[in-house]
Amino acid sequence: MPLLFSVLEFGSALERWLAQDAATVQAARYAGELGGDTPELRRFLDDELRAARIDPDRVSVDVAPSRVGWREPIRVSLSSSYPVSIPFLFSTTVPLRSSAISRGEVNR
Amino acid sequence: MVLTLVLAPLLLVVLAGVLQLGALRVAAARVRAAADLATLVAVNDQDEAELARSGTLRLSPDAVDVAREYFARELDLSSALLDGTADEIAGAADVAAYASAPAYDMRTGARYDRPTVRIAADVPVRTPVFGALVLRAVTAIHVLSVSSPR
Repeated sequence: MPLLFSVLEFGSALERWLAQDAATVQAARYAGELGGDTPELRRFLDDELRAARIDPDRVSVDVAPSRVGWREPIRVSLSSSYPVSIPFLFSTTVPLRSSAISRGEVNR
Repeated sequence: MVLTLVLAPLLLVVLAGVLQLGALRVAAARVRAAADLATLVAVNDQDEAELARSGTLRLSPDAVDVAREYFARELDLSSALLDGTADEIAGAADVAAYASAPAYDMRTGARYDRPTVRIAADVPVRTPVFGALVLRAVTAIHVLSVSSPR
């Protein structure tokens, strides 16, 4: 029984990791288009995470640098914790980290 | 009781294999995203002079270098998953830029009707559980990414 739950729980964690990775890539692409960390980017990211059934309030977001010019790299990083609970064995949280880099497209 | 003892190691191996397959799937998605973003970044950098002169979308002369640089940058974010450095893997990737259209890709045979950047690479990913199960400790993920401007 614990083994079966392990497969299900870790499978769910990996699915969540994939969804978070996909949202991060989209956000990095959009951050490059906007030229940095803007309210539009945060709204977009929240929508992407909600669409993947991830609570945005439980995800920490870092955009570095917060403002970029044309051809400058910009990195978007997301991190969250996923609770894993295996009956009769253990409960823990798995850290999920995602990062992607894009390039500024705004010629200031 | 005996059946449980006999089956437990087998089920543990199955669990380890399932987790490794899942991790491999995450790694494959990351590698694909890395190549996609790298080609997108390279394609977005249009030749400004040509655009101003004739209104034609034409790739920047350094598109290949940009694609390779950003492929390495993206891979470096997942360096713990890779069997090799990001720079080595990106350096060995087959990156091609087709500045004007139509063009034919000698590797894939595809015809491109717009300026295009293409990355084809074999990315070695660590799979230690597979290695312990007398399979391959390193799995190569083949990635092919093509981007064109609209």
